[in-house]
This record gives sequence, C-alpha cells and structure tokens, in this order.
Amino acid sequence: MKVAIAREATYRFGVFASLAAFFMRVYLLRMVWLALYAHNAAPRGLPLHVMLTYTTIALLMGLVLDIDQTRALHDRLHDGSIATDFMKPINVPLFFFADGTGEVVFRMILLVPALGLALTLVHIDVPSAGAAAAFLFSFTLGYFVGFFLNFILNCTAFWTLEISAVQLIVTWLTDLLGGEIVPLALFPAALGRVAYALPFAAMFSTPLSIYVGLIRPAQYAGAFASQAMWLVLLAAISAVLWRAGARRIVLQGG
Amino acid sequence: MPVGLYCRVAEQRPRAPRDVADGRSRAWRRAAGAYAEFWRINVLTTLEYRENFLLWALFTLVYHGAALTALWVVFKSFPSMNGWSFKDMAFLYGLWMLAHALHNALFSNVEEVPERIREGEFDRVLIRPLDALFQVVTTPGQIFPDEALMALVYFGFAVWYSGVRVDLTFVAFVPLVVAGGVLIDLAINLLIATVAFWVVRVDELRWIFLQLESEFTRYPVSIYSRGVRLLVTFVLPFAFVNYLPAAYFLHRGGGGFGLPPQAGLLTPVVGFAFAAVAYGFWRFGLNRYQGVGH
Repeated sequence: MKVAIAREATYRFGVFASLAAFFMRVYLLRMVWLALYAHNAAPRGLPLHVMLTYTTIALLMGLVLDIDQTRALHDRLHDGSIATDFMKPINVPLFFFADGTGEVVFRMILLVPALGLALTLVHIDVPSAGAAAAFLFSFTLGYFVGFFLNFILNCTAFWTLEISAVQLIVTWLTDLLGGEIVPLALFPAALGRVAYALPFAAMFSTPLSIYVGLIRPAQYAGAFASQAMWLVLLAAISAVLWRAGARRIVLQGG
Repeated sequence: MPVGLYCRVAEQRPRAPRDVADGRSRAWRRAAGAYAEFWRINVLTTLEYRENFLLWALFTLVYHGAALTALWVVFKSFPSMNGWSFKDMAFLYGLWMLAHALHNALFSNVEEVPERIREGEFDRVLIRPLDALFQVVTTPGQIFPDEALMALVYFGFAVWYSGVRVDLTFVAFVPLVVAGGVLIDLAINLLIATVAFWVVRVDELRWIFLQLESEFTRYPVSIYSRGVRLLVTFVLPFAFVNYLPAAYFLHRGGGGFGLPPQAGLLTPVVGFAFAAVAYGFWRFGLNRYQGVGH
C-alpha cells in the first residue's frame, strides 16, 4: 500500500491535472445548471442550490470511486506475474486490496483541498452533523460496492484477458445509472425503476441523496440495508469467481 | 508488429525508372498505395479480433447512448436551455459526433505518438523516406470506422428528428462543416502530441482537453461566461465544430462578439487555419526532437 501511495505521488503533474480537471468540471457544470434553472421551473425537491451541491459532491466522490482499485490483478494476469504472487507467503486477494487502497488513500488526501475550495468557491450546502455522518457511512458502503464490482470485472480476466472495453462500458453505465451525472429523482418512472434495481445506485445515488436530504433520516435504515445487500451479494460473487479463477491458474500450471 | 508491417508496405512497389517530371505523381501514387494497404490491414486485423472489435463497438454505442440519455432525462425536467430544445440538442450532438467519429477513424493514430516517443519507437519513423506525420497516420492497427458509421446513422436521425430545414445551403455546407470539425479535432490532437517531444507524459493534458471538448460541444456555448466563450470561439475553436454551424442551421441566433449567424459556415476555414498552425508546431517540434535516449 505504501508503494502504491508513492507511485501515485510520483506523477505529481497527474495530481494537479486531476484537481484542475475537477475544478474545471465543477465550474462548467455549474454554468450548465444555472442556464437550465434560469429558463425553467425548478423540479420539486430540487432547487438550484441542492442541484449544485449534488453535482459538486458527485464529482468529489468520483475522484475516489472512479479508481480502478484492483487493476493490478488484471495487469498481473495479463503479464503472467500472478503465478509468482501465488508462491509468496501472502494472502493474494488481500494484497490486491491493499494495493488499490494505497491509491484510494492518496486520492482521499486530494479530497481535502478539493472539498475546501468547493465549500468556499461554489458555496455548496453543508449538511447537519447527523446527515454528514450518515453520508460518510453510506459512502463507505458505496465504496465497497464499487470495489467488489471492480474486483469481479478484473476477475473475469482469468478467462478473457481483454477487459478494458467491458470496464469502460460499466464505467459509463455507472455514471449514468448511478446518478452521478443526473440525480435519479429526475429519471422518468420506467428508467428510474431500472436504475434503482441496479447496484450502481448504491455507489453514487444513495450517499448523495442522503447528503442533500432527498433521503430523510427515517429512510436511512432502508437505504443502508439496500446498500449492504449489494455489498454482500457482490462480495459473494467475488469470492466464488476468485476461487474458480485461482483453481484455473493452478490447473494450467501457472 | 504494426511497425514491421509498415516497412514492407512502404517499400512494396518497385521503383521504375521514369522521367523526373513523373517523380511527384509517382510519390503521390506510392502514398495512395500505402494508404490503401493501411486500410486493408486494418480490416484484416479487425476481422482477426472480432470479439474484441464487437466489445469496443458496444462501448461506443453505450458511450453515446449514455450521453444522449442523460441529455434526454435533463430536458424532460428542463425543456429549454437558452432557447434550445432537446430536438436542437440532438442535432448539436449529431454534428459533433460526426466530426469526432470521422476524426477517430482517420487520425486516431496521432494519439499514439507520445507513447511511441516514450518507448523510443518513434525514432524509426524519422529514418524512413516518407513524411513523418503520414507514417504516423498510416500505422495499421485495429482501426475500423464503426463509430463513423454509427455517427452517420445517428446524424440522419437527428436531421429528421430536429426538423432542421434541409435546403441547398445545408446539403452543400454540412460536409464542409464536418470536414472543418475533423481538422479542428486533428489540430488539438496534433498540438498535444507535439508537446510530447518535450514532456514525457501528456496523458493528463490529453484527458483535460477531452473533457473540455465534450463539455463545450454538448451544450450551446451561449450558456458560458464571456471569457469561456472567447476561449472556445477564438483560441480553441470548439464552437466552430458544432455550436456556431448548428445555431445557423437551426436559426438560434449568432455566436455573440458581433459575429453574424453566417460565421457558423466558416468552420472549414477555421479548421484549415487551426490545423495549419498545429502542423507548423509539429514541424517545429520534430526539427528539435533528439530522441529520448534509449
């Protein structure tokens, strides 16, 4: 994990670029919503300041959630070095988890200046202490939902080595159906039902809705439960795929 | 593998002794032959990796599908954006998609330049007796104009759906505007690739420009502040890719800064000028390039 943090910090231009790109997007999306609210009646429950807060926090979450945490697994399957990983006296899935976590921690540190500037420049809403705590808890659950979704995708590299296209497809579906770009509350009924029935909403929409108050304290328990359900389900699938994949490696003789 | 293949392609045709006056036309014919061979290998490669190709085609479909769905959802609740309806937005998107997809089909190899410089592969290009940019553009790979075909189909739909008036001006200028858009895209791409002669990693720079392009070509430029509008009209002319021409065709007012609506038809001129500037910068970088020291 330490190695991963160091690796990230090496590309310092990358850090500044991430931050610059983040602010550019916040600024531009702000103008998009300002233009939309200027000429139309605000939808129920989503006044302008709520929408701006939602969008900004979504972009902040994206800084962490868009990371391909278990990319190392895919890379090592690709170049075959996974074989030596199995010989090392380590828990291999845990190794990949730690490797990805290093990058996540690094991005978390990045969040501090980003959040500070978002608060002072964009004037996003500050939630109550209770809502903030619920948001953090929900965000953590959402992070692990994303982690296992990602792990499953990288595990498929045990069978088919080329997975970048599939990963990008899932990324774009997550952005749209997870409510990162547009709040799911605005989705027409049928499409909304589809979005709520998929795990992507547990990553973005649930924590965001808690933050801006679209999910009220009385509904927290139900929201957490649905996130936890996805978490357990995806973790179980990950475990099954990992076992099957690891056995396949052994059968092939590394 | 692609580089090795290329070598043979360039030297395939035997030199026939002819008049000097014939030399120029022969060079052109040789280039045309190499270009045809480039596409032949592309198609063969695509056929070889069919599943991979289908996955990437599906990705392209999801990418554009998600972008249009997001727009559609937003416009369900907010029917107007500075006077533009969803139908107008569909046309705006189609114009950008066509130019962008055609650029990707023809010039996506320019994006590979930084990577090839980093690996020291680029130096090979410099020792061959053919224009460096031409060699870059015609490096075979898994290139197939699937996105361009999708864009063409979608653009046909968007023209019908938006109800834009299809008159002689429209038919005459749309291909020119699209060509101009391709050149603007190419210019940006070439500028970033040229930076790689001095800076090792330009991935982030490219990513920022990609983000900028997708934001500025998706919505009417009139929603942005004056400074941003100046930037995308005169410095990085994204506004000429789709906003200004679409505003002209849909009668949605001019581009501000005292520009008449007809300025939207200047895209080919702007594209050509911008691409010429980028090519000048590329030549400048190329002449100073000394390798990465492999």
